[in-house]
Amino acid sequence: MANFIPTMDSGQKGWRASLQKFGGNLAGMVIPNIGAFIAWGLLTALFIPTGWLPNEDLAQMVGPMIVNLLPILIAYTGGRLVHGQRGSVIASIATVGVIVGTDVPMFLGAMIIGPLAAWVLKQIDKALDPKVPAGFEMLVSNFSLGISGLLLAILGYWGIGPAVNGITDVLGSGIKVLVDAGLLPLVSILIEPAKVLFLNNAINFGVLAPLGVIDVQTAGKSIMFMIESNPGPGLGLLLAFWLAGPKALRGSAPGAIIIHFLGGIHEIYFPYVLLKPQTIIAMIAGGATGVAVFLATGVGLVATPSPGSIFAWMAMTPPGDHLGVLLGIFMAAAVSFTVAFFILRLSKDDATASDLAGAKAKSSEMKTGETQ
Amino acid sequence: MAKVSGASVKTIVVACEAGMGSSVMVAKMLAKQLKPQGITVTHSPVNQLATTEHDIVLCHRGLSGRAKQAVPDSVVIAFDMFLGDLIIARLVSALQEGQDISDD
Repeated sequence: MANFIPTMDSGQKGWRASLQKFGGNLAGMVIPNIGAFIAWGLLTALFIPTGWLPNEDLAQMVGPMIVNLLPILIAYTGGRLVHGQRGSVIASIATVGVIVGTDVPMFLGAMIIGPLAAWVLKQIDKALDPKVPAGFEMLVSNFSLGISGLLLAILGYWGIGPAVNGITDVLGSGIKVLVDAGLLPLVSILIEPAKVLFLNNAINFGVLAPLGVIDVQTAGKSIMFMIESNPGPGLGLLLAFWLAGPKALRGSAPGAIIIHFLGGIHEIYFPYVLLKPQTIIAMIAGGATGVAVFLATGVGLVATPSPGSIFAWMAMTPPGDHLGVLLGIFMAAAVSFTVAFFILRLSKDDATASDLAGAKAKSSEMKTGETQ
Repeated sequence: MAKVSGASVKTIVVACEAGMGSSVMVAKMLAKQLKPQGITVTHSPVNQLATTEHDIVLCHRGLSGRAKQAVPDSVVIAFDMFLGDLIIARLVSALQEGQDISDD
């Protein structure tokens, strides 16, 4: 019988699992729709007045896509996760109320009302199903969805829309304060550790992307898309592991570099950080350097690059910004490489192969939140 | 703890957060290795495991708590590295030799 390391059941009740689950649900509404974000991002990069091929007629599509299509798709997907096809339909109806209630792209609103509307319909269906006489199922199900959809759209218009507008304003002005004070690089102190705990998608698609699209409406680009998805820090870290890491990890590093930097799957470097937790300092330093360079050169991206690959980044860079963007990526990589290299060299004595197993067990304990 | 006979395994699902990135990559690599055994390897978001057909669940240790929560009766095997992990190599050889596989 083959033995495997236990999966740490106790971890499932930990705060991290619940946070991950919440974040996973946010990301789960956005990620299946990334194709639509890319269509919108490319459309914006090409046809807006400052784009590659300015075209007034085609640029008319930019607004309706970001204001209507993307939030409805997000809500639709969120509704489906909760209550299948009927959940999708009612989520879409209700989201229209949130959308017309405000003038900013309602991503957060869609993420709230989509699952909420589907959940309400699920409860209604549960209550009505046993009572419906034979032959009336279709009549009842269509009108229960239609009427509750209408009511939820009104709730969205009067309640959720204005509330989310307020939240977005507060978040937006908080970030504006950080940007104006030149303190934005400090957010890397929070973001890099959260990222390697597999909260990467939640942060990028749940928080940063919704703020970014608001910037894009006014400025045509945003730095918000670049904070979590910069492939530079991970590249530096993996290079350091390749040259100075524990022997057992060196062999896989070159393959991981290709998958991370070109393929954009950042998850591949998380285990390296978790096995050598001190290297998180390198990630924070690299991430903060990247943000500082992007800020100093005034560059942005037109949409969220997903996956976070160098190719997606180049495709989402507006005309004239490529130099600053590349500089930020490579400065981030250089800084995280240097810091990680020294950390790995200094901790070499206690990083022999026999200690690796212990480090593994320790980091998995930490990861599953068992010690909390 | 859940247990399954290696010889009876027909489908393995690799789970990740979104079910679109790292799980697809691991599933592809594993599918190649397990083709001779006629085992299908699929991928799924961790929150949709309950509705995905599988005999064994494979995911990163950071997500294994949630995977076990989603499908408490399934064998959930957690790995640490996306490339060259010994746990995955051991799973493959256990399947090739038809040994029992458990997650305890």
